[in-house]
Amino acid sequence: MTSPHYSTRAPEASVGTMKTVLEVRGARHRYGDKVALDGVDLRVDEGECVALLGPNGAGKTTLVNMIVGLLARQGGEVAILGGDPRNAATRRALGVVQQSLGFPSTLKVRELVVGAAVRGGLPRTAAGPVLAELELTELADRRVSKLSGGQKQRVQLAMALVTNPALLVLDEPTAGLDALSRRRFWHLLAQRRAQGTGVLVTTHLIEESAAVADRVVVLSGGRVVGEGTPDELVALLPDRTVIATTKLDDVRLRALPGVLSLSRGDGLVRLRTSAPEALLRVLLVEDPTLSDLRVEHAGLEEAVISLGVAA
Amino acid sequence: MNARIFAVELADELRGIVREPTALFFSIIMPVGFFTLFASIFGGGNPGMLATFGTFGVLGVALMNPGVRIAQDRELGWLRAKRVSAVPIGVTLAAKVAAVLPYAIGVLLAMTAAAGLTGSLTASPVQVARLIAVLLLGALPFALLGLAVGFQAGSNAAVAILNAILMPMSVLSGLWMPLAILPAFFGTVAPFLPTYHLAAIATAQLAGGPVVGHALVLLGMTVVTGALAAVSYRHARP
Repeated sequence: MTSPHYSTRAPEASVGTMKTVLEVRGARHRYGDKVALDGVDLRVDEGECVALLGPNGAGKTTLVNMIVGLLARQGGEVAILGGDPRNAATRRALGVVQQSLGFPSTLKVRELVVGAAVRGGLPRTAAGPVLAELELTELADRRVSKLSGGQKQRVQLAMALVTNPALLVLDEPTAGLDALSRRRFWHLLAQRRAQGTGVLVTTHLIEESAAVADRVVVLSGGRVVGEGTPDELVALLPDRTVIATTKLDDVRLRALPGVLSLSRGDGLVRLRTSAPEALLRVLLVEDPTLSDLRVEHAGLEEAVISLGVAA
Repeated sequence: MNARIFAVELADELRGIVREPTALFFSIIMPVGFFTLFASIFGGGNPGMLATFGTFGVLGVALMNPGVRIAQDRELGWLRAKRVSAVPIGVTLAAKVAAVLPYAIGVLLAMTAAAGLTGSLTASPVQVARLIAVLLLGALPFALLGLAVGFQAGSNAAVAILNAILMPMSVLSGLWMPLAILPAFFGTVAPFLPTYHLAAIATAQLAGGPVVGHALVLLGMTVVTGALAAVSYRHARP
C-alpha cells in the first residue's frame, strides 16, 4: 500500500464459471402504505462489483437491510450462497462495512479484529494476516477511539475481510476519506475481488462507482430503472457536453439549440446539450473564432439522475 | 462455537469495566455509601438492611448497565454491526447481562465489608453467599426490562427512564428505609412491586421467611420482561 499507483479494478475473470454469491428475486417491502421495494431483482457474482445507485428514498437502504438480514422480507427471495441471510450461519459468508460505524471506545484494534474472526468461526490467529494486509499491525494495540477516520474505516474493513466473506456489502464506504485513502480502499478490494469476493456497494459518489463497479443498478421508487455497465448506462443518455473557447456571451450561449446548462472554467465554456449536432452547427456559424472544440458524453451521474427522474 | 463467541463478547464487555473504572463509582461506591449512612441512622443490627440495600445495589447495575450499554451500542451502530455478523443476537445479549455479575458481586461484597467494619454484620458467610446467589438470579427480569428500554431509547433517555423506574420502586418497596417505619401507604403499595418480592427473598436468606410466593412473582415478571425485550428488539431501528 505504499505505492500511490493503485488499481481499483479486479482482473478480468472468465465469464461462464462465475458463481452467484447474492441473488435477490422479486423483493417487495412496504412501510404502511408506502411502497419501499416493488419487485426488485439483483444479482452479484463472485469477484464482481455491483454499485447500487439511486436518489434518496429510492429503496436502497431497505434493500441493503434485507440483504444483510436486518429486515424480514414481505415478498420475494434473498439468498447469499443459497442461504437465507436471516440465519446467523448464512451471515458467515457476509462482510459488511457501514457508513461511519462507531466503535466502543474501550476496545483496541487487535481485539476488534480478533473478535470478528472468532465470531466468524475462525481461530484468533486469523486476525494477524488481515491486520498486516491493511497496514494495521502497528496500530493493533491502540484504542480504536484514538484513530483517524480513515484508520477506523480500515479497521472496519479488516473486521469484514477477516472471515474471507463471499459477499461484501459496503454502505458509503469511502465517505469522509481523502482521495488517496479512497484509492487505497478500492485497491484493497480489487485484490479481494480477484480472489472471488463479490461486492455490493451503495454510494453517493457516482463517478467513483463508475471507476470501480463492473455493473451499476439504478433504483428509483422501489424499482430497478436501469442496469448495465457504467458505459452502457452513459450511452443511454443522448446528452453531450460541448466544450470550447468562444467569444459568445452567456445570454447568447444559453439561447443556442438544446442547451441544458452552462458553466465556465479554465477559459473554457461547457455546454450540456440534448441536441449536440444542432448546437455545433449554430455555434460554428455564430463564432468563427471558436477553438479548443470537443464533445464529450455526459457522465454516469447525469445518466443516473436522468434514469431516476424518468422513472 | 457459541461458547467461544460468548467468551469474546463477555471479554469485550468486561474490558469496558476495567478500562473505564469511573462507572464503578455509581455502581458500587454510591450504594455502599448509602448503606453505611442509613445503617448508621436506622441501626445496622437489623439483618434485613444488608438484604434490602443489597437488593438496591444489585438492581442498580442489573437494570441500568445492560440497558444503557445496548442503547449506546445502538447509537454507535455497533449493535447493527453485531446483528449483521454471524453472532446469534442472544449470545450478544447474554454477554451484556453476564457482565453485570462482577459489578453485582462487587457491590454485595463491599456492603458486607462495610457492615463488618461498622460492627453491624450479623450474617454468616453461608448466609451472605446465599444472599449473593438469590440476588444475582433474581436480578434477571430487571436486566431484561433494562434491555427492553435500551432497544428503544437513546442512551441519555435510557438512563433517565431506568432511574425513573428504579428510584420510586426502591423507596416504595422499603429498600432504603424499613417499611415498618414508613407510612402505611408504602406497605399497601409494596407487594405490587417486583423489587419488594426480590428484597423479601433476599431478607429470607438472612432472617428466614417464606420465598415461594415471592419467587413465583419474579418468575412471572421474567416471562413478561423477556417477552417485552423480544418485542422491543424486533421493533428496534436497524
